[in-house]
Amino acid sequence: MSNRPDLYTSYRKESSIFPNNTQKFWFIVLLISAIFVCFVASDYWLILLTNALLVSIAAWGLNIVSGLAGQINLAHGVFVGIGTYASAVMGGVATRSVIGYELDLLLWLPLSGLIAALVGVLISPIAVRLKGLNLGLVTLAFVFIGSHFFSNMVFVTGGSGLGRKAANLQIFGIDLNSGLEIGNLFLQKNQILYFISLLVAVLLGIGVKNLVRSKTGRAFAAIRDRDIAAEALGINLFRFKSVSLAISCFYGGVAGALLMTTFGGAEPGTFNLLYSITFIAIVIIGGAGTVLGPLFGSFFFVLFPALIQNVVLSSNLSEQELILSPQQIERVIFGLFIILFLIFEPRGLWGIWFRLRNYFKAWPFSY
Amino acid sequence: MIIFLQATFEGLSLGAVYSLVAIGFVLIFRATDVLSFAQPAMVVVGAGFISYFATQIGIPFWIAFILGIILTGILGFVIERTFLRPMVGEPVFSVAVLTIGIDILLRVVLDNWIGINPKYMGDPFPSFGNFGSLSIGGITIKYLEVTALIISLILIFVLSLFFKRSKYGVAMRATSLDQEAALAQGINVGRVFGLVWFIAGLLAAFAGFFITGGFNTLTNSSFISALRALPAVVIGGLDSITGAVIGSLIIGLTQAYVGYYQFDIESAYNIRLGNGFSIVAPYLIMFVILLIKPHGLFGTEEVERV
Repeated sequence: MSNRPDLYTSYRKESSIFPNNTQKFWFIVLLISAIFVCFVASDYWLILLTNALLVSIAAWGLNIVSGLAGQINLAHGVFVGIGTYASAVMGGVATRSVIGYELDLLLWLPLSGLIAALVGVLISPIAVRLKGLNLGLVTLAFVFIGSHFFSNMVFVTGGSGLGRKAANLQIFGIDLNSGLEIGNLFLQKNQILYFISLLVAVLLGIGVKNLVRSKTGRAFAAIRDRDIAAEALGINLFRFKSVSLAISCFYGGVAGALLMTTFGGAEPGTFNLLYSITFIAIVIIGGAGTVLGPLFGSFFFVLFPALIQNVVLSSNLSEQELILSPQQIERVIFGLFIILFLIFEPRGLWGIWFRLRNYFKAWPFSY
Repeated sequence: MIIFLQATFEGLSLGAVYSLVAIGFVLIFRATDVLSFAQPAMVVVGAGFISYFATQIGIPFWIAFILGIILTGILGFVIERTFLRPMVGEPVFSVAVLTIGIDILLRVVLDNWIGINPKYMGDPFPSFGNFGSLSIGGITIKYLEVTALIISLILIFVLSLFFKRSKYGVAMRATSLDQEAALAQGINVGRVFGLVWFIAGLLAAFAGFFITGGFNTLTNSSFISALRALPAVVIGGLDSITGAVIGSLIIGLTQAYVGYYQFDIESAYNIRLGNGFSIVAPYLIMFVILLIKPHGLFGTEEVERV
């Protein structure tokens, strides 16, 4: 048996995190190259990669509640925003207009996730009562209420148009803003942030994978497929819907906290309707309900605009000659991709990857 | 008292305009089971068409007005044909997200055209039209608001006649009850889908003119006011036209009352509701109503089977 890794002899084996050695191999290769990239890439690409990793954490969060548990959430961006400002309050410096407690990263990172999760649990009684499109519309209302709070709670967010600075980057009391020296290796702030994001992304990614194959994950899938049948099978709808929302918000909050630290600050206007829709688009373009999908979607979403900008910049066209500005081109392509993926490949990038993989697995035979 | 009457009048007029958008939502939802997030974008696109013909090209206002409204209707028809027809039978959520994609596309094009300067609608009667107002006992009544109220009421009346009496109206009601049964009775369901989107487009363009007319102007943020028809639909119930109208009136009145009385409430109870609270208030009301009645005030409760 030992030399036939693709033959599953037990359920436990089939549902393990890496069901075969190939996957284990590629995961390790990817991880090593991800660490290696940090020392080669320029600051521009490093920040982009950090951003992509963090966005995929947030997208995983939305994927848990929408893709896995089937509850529409149009307000994920608000939870990301809550995490963002929670981190800024706990880890940031107090000024005349905003409050801040200058805590350690090890404290503010999990706490900002937990605070976002707490808000999720608080609103879950409303969310649990509704389902389908009504739920989507209520979460839409939450986007506007959230934006209202963000722009009016000046002592937390710094007020609309101004924003505030991000949390301090210090671990165990060591200030990492000017870099870190380990032996004769010097890590810059961007590299440190990249490593933190990579670590958190790997941990939370394995977390999602584990969730999917756990009892809770199966309960979520049952609720998504048919909630009444799930209830008849003894799944407590209220509890599991709340739990899915809480986990989702936790992911969003952690991602928000690190995103703000990467960009150095955040303005309340960022967390508008389009920001929340972005995450939905990422999940759909990547592939809803899968673990790898949001990762694909996020890298696509972050790296593709950068590519467009490079093309636009190198094409020597002036602003006037272009009909649309780069941001608008980005949004047009974004909207088009949502539509095209939904019509032609509802399983998203993950679906394309899945078919490619299966094609090459059996190559040169068609099946 | 004057303030109260003023607020009531403005609220009713706003509500009537929202109800046009809201009816479009309900029509589309009932006939095709699609919740169209593209409807607010259609509102601003309609306003954009009218403004483009009337002020940029310089066609006489009335022709521009009618042309703009019909073009928006046709746009709705085309959207249904190209993007939504392939999605018939897909999960509701996927289709709703697809309309978000359409919304993004429409708004990018429109935002690009609007640019930084606000666009004006044309004016049918330069001496007292869109920009004028009259004063009755201290209440300022804008001509635009009166027209909005009257035209919305007429449109709602015409629509209800259309549904009760005309052949296609009956076909639409049949389709919204049961698509397959309607098909079996010889109704061309595909054509009904197209017609529904066309009518929703017409209504959106009417609403667009009233929302952005006069001093309101068409800007990049006009979209936010059009989006307020969404809570109206939810309050009334997604599948009820009566509900859509009443929900819209509730939203319009709330917005107007909050706008006029926010300062008084704040100073009386010593609280701070924040800038722009009148924009959020409709959504708060929606929250409360959905907590009490999850299907809205007039929505039918679904009977669910496993």
